[in-house]
Amino acid sequence: MIRLDGIVVKFGDFTALHDINVQVNDGEFFTFLGPSGCGKTTTLRTITGFIEPAAGTVVADGKDITRVPIEDRNIGIVFQSYALFPTMTVYDNIAFGLKVKHLKKAEIQRRVKEIAAKVELSDEQLGKAVGQLSGGQQQRVAIARALVLEPSIICMDEPLSNLDAKLRVQLRNELKKMQKDFGITTIYVTHDQEEALTLSDRIAVFNNGCIEQIGTPNEIYNFSKTEFVCNFIGDINKIEIELAAKLAQADPSVSPENHNFIRLERIHVNTEPAGRQIVAEGVVTSREYYGLYIKYTVDVGSQSVKVIEKNDGIRIYEEGQKVNVVIDPADVMAYPPAAEGEAAS
Amino acid sequence: MTQTGKQSGARIWKILLGFGFCYLFFGFMLLPCLNTLTSIFTVKNAAGQTDPTAVIRFFLAGNMKNYVFNSLKLAVCLVITVNVVGTSLVLLTEYFDIKGAKILRLGYMTTLIYSGVALVTGYMFLYDHDGILTNLLVRAFPGMNPNWFSGFKAVLFTMTFACTSNHMLFLRNAIRGIDYNTVEAARNMGANPFVVLWKVVLPTLLPTLFSLTVMTLITGLCAMSAPTIIGYDAINPEIVRLAGSTAADEAFPQARAALLSVILATFTIILLSVLTHYERKGHYLSVSKTKAKLVKQKINNPVVNVLVHIYAYVLFVIYATPVILIIVFSFQNYGAIKMKTLDPTSWTLINYFGKYDFEYKTPRGKIKQTSEAVTGLFSNARAVGGIKVSLLLSVAAAALACLIVVIACTYIFKHKKSGTILESALLFPWLLPTILICYSYRIFFNSNDVWYVFGKNLYLGKNVRILVILAYTVVKLPFALRMIKASFYTIDPELEDAAKNLGSGTIRTFLRVKLPIILPSVLAVFALVFNELFSEYDMSATFHGTEATTYAMVIKAMTQTDQRAYYNLNAAGRQCASTVFIMIVSGLILYLVYGVGSRDLSERLAAKEKRRKRRELKKRV
Repeated sequence: MIRLDGIVVKFGDFTALHDINVQVNDGEFFTFLGPSGCGKTTTLRTITGFIEPAAGTVVADGKDITRVPIEDRNIGIVFQSYALFPTMTVYDNIAFGLKVKHLKKAEIQRRVKEIAAKVELSDEQLGKAVGQLSGGQQQRVAIARALVLEPSIICMDEPLSNLDAKLRVQLRNELKKMQKDFGITTIYVTHDQEEALTLSDRIAVFNNGCIEQIGTPNEIYNFSKTEFVCNFIGDINKIEIELAAKLAQADPSVSPENHNFIRLERIHVNTEPAGRQIVAEGVVTSREYYGLYIKYTVDVGSQSVKVIEKNDGIRIYEEGQKVNVVIDPADVMAYPPAAEGEAAS
Repeated sequence: MTQTGKQSGARIWKILLGFGFCYLFFGFMLLPCLNTLTSIFTVKNAAGQTDPTAVIRFFLAGNMKNYVFNSLKLAVCLVITVNVVGTSLVLLTEYFDIKGAKILRLGYMTTLIYSGVALVTGYMFLYDHDGILTNLLVRAFPGMNPNWFSGFKAVLFTMTFACTSNHMLFLRNAIRGIDYNTVEAARNMGANPFVVLWKVVLPTLLPTLFSLTVMTLITGLCAMSAPTIIGYDAINPEIVRLAGSTAADEAFPQARAALLSVILATFTIILLSVLTHYERKGHYLSVSKTKAKLVKQKINNPVVNVLVHIYAYVLFVIYATPVILIIVFSFQNYGAIKMKTLDPTSWTLINYFGKYDFEYKTPRGKIKQTSEAVTGLFSNARAVGGIKVSLLLSVAAAALACLIVVIACTYIFKHKKSGTILESALLFPWLLPTILICYSYRIFFNSNDVWYVFGKNLYLGKNVRILVILAYTVVKLPFALRMIKASFYTIDPELEDAAKNLGSGTIRTFLRVKLPIILPSVLAVFALVFNELFSEYDMSATFHGTEATTYAMVIKAMTQTDQRAYYNLNAAGRQCASTVFIMIVSGLILYLVYGVGSRDLSERLAAKEKRRKRRELKKRV
């Protein structure tokens, strides 16, 4: 278990982290999510010891490690670039930390082979230069190098960001499987919301050096606490006053004064309205074909709304076609306007 | 070690480093040069009074101006000739479709493996009043002046072909970086190859050409070996002459030498400032998303095509002939070399190995013997001595320069503000002509009053070697810094973090992680610096220390020692052998740097695997 209490990090006059409080439980896959420059990597580097906080404490397994040197924290890191030593073989990369600890050669060999087998690196691959490996294999070396020292926690700083989309999805699954197999507490940094949602047990959403929300992927996605989280996670429609007023007529709990949002998949096209659902007539202005689903933009007069419909191969609408857009007021996510100012500050 | 212990250790290191660099900068860059500068204004007149303007008045009234004018004339003319020839070489080998371009390139690149004294003496061997080519030309055109290869035009000719190495390296790279799609686009719009060259290709090469122009101007101004050997009144040889002169011979020679050095430094600083200003502007960055490789352009007009081919091969002959003839004549006996005629019956290795005495009959009929009149390069005590001294000085200086720069770069990359100051200090010698630094050293350290070298006279006896090593090192620091610093940029900062996270300390991280990454570049810089210094003449000639007689000085001396009858008979042959030796050393170094040295770990592992398989196969057989 690792806990951050009131962490503040300053770079000169600039405060990069404001009062960060978060607890990561044992065996948990915990993700720091947020846009570039929001403070997620700074938080990770504070945990690993590369940055010393101006205030607050880092507590690991009940011990205050705020001032403990990097090498004594027992926290493994997988870097964004993997940071594999290019002049060493795969074996030497994995063995590096063990050699630093002056372990016996036989012991080093045993542990390297053991971890290599666990991350599925062959003996032949161990003798190769790291540059000769594929992106996925390099990732496994980076993980093995971090895990061979048997850390209590492993931190990963956007380890998939340099890879192409297909490999990213493939490695994401491998990563999750490995984390489960090792049962190790993992802190993962990413700006990719899809990655965060698919991998994590819990997510902390960062913005401007603060944590906006901590929760499970479902809580973050469906019950976003702030307008920032709601906008940052997934694609969303902002409901303008006219449409909001219409929704308010159907359900008084919707207030047009609020900032109202609705997720794309919660709006439907040409379905029968039920309960308090409202219908807005519109025209399809664009269609984006994604295979599994189709994204439509529908002009409902007062505004355009984006809608995602499952691609069943039958109900496919053409641009210019008139459609009915069906919205349930219960799906509206509302935030009082003041919250925006607070979030921004 | 505790965190506090580590921090105080690091602080001690930082203080020591700071002290070391201050000692280097103030003691061996600033103070000697300032001493030179002040010496101009502290000359004493006949009455023993200080006369601050005496040297300047002397300069304005006497013929000292001529040396400056001559150097400027040479520099300006060189800019034109070197750019014309250098650009032609690159276009002929990279842009136009010329038959035999690969062989032509090999010929044009010969200046990379021999330059300086070796090249000039090679040219003298061919074009001097009794040179092979001069003899041939005089035979063909009896009215021709056999002394045609002398003075300004000979220096200009030699230096024109000697100074195109940078074009072959940098302009070649620039032209290879051109996006071929831009050429195709111009052709598509109706432009012929020459219009494309003028309007599309050359403008993109302008920044490189500008840099090369400035470097050529500086080279021309600071010319040393060609004017010295061929004979031309330029600044540098005059500084060397004055430095060795005494007040008994002429009026305040040292102060005059200092003034000339400072004039040279002023020109250099102005030129480099212009270059830096121009480089900062940044020009013609390629906007291509996908660059297409340049395809050589065919010259469609048959007449022009033939003319261009002739031009290409004439240049090839000019470049390759000295090399070929020197190699061939290095295996000829002294008779053939003396007559400058190839004798198929007199092949020998005597210019390289072995020695023998020479017996001759005097006019009175007596038989006399000159012992060791003919000696090979590696059997001649002076030559071997020169090689040893050059080897020692070059290796020490190259290693020292690399060491200083590696330590400095480690600091520069960690400390942005103080790092910039350190970097500027190490680049300082770039602003000063080599001759000024060496001259300043020679004068300043030729005393027992320099407290920070413990009152030792560094110009005396074998101490001069330390002085030469220091001068070599200081002069090569800017080059080493620029090259090695570039390699530091290739180190991913996360590697250091990763090593730290794995428990590695600063020194271990440096030795095991960072150093192996930059090592190929450091070795390349070491090799290139060594290469330049090994056959370096200008600096050692300025010092002119008996205990620091370098290889280049020995080679230069070989052009003169042939005068005494029956003594040193094969000096010219040994000179050829020396040039061949320098070419072999340089070629080997370039191969090691760009061939073996540039291999990465995967290539090395592949080579290791290949060797292992070969061994296994041998065992089985």
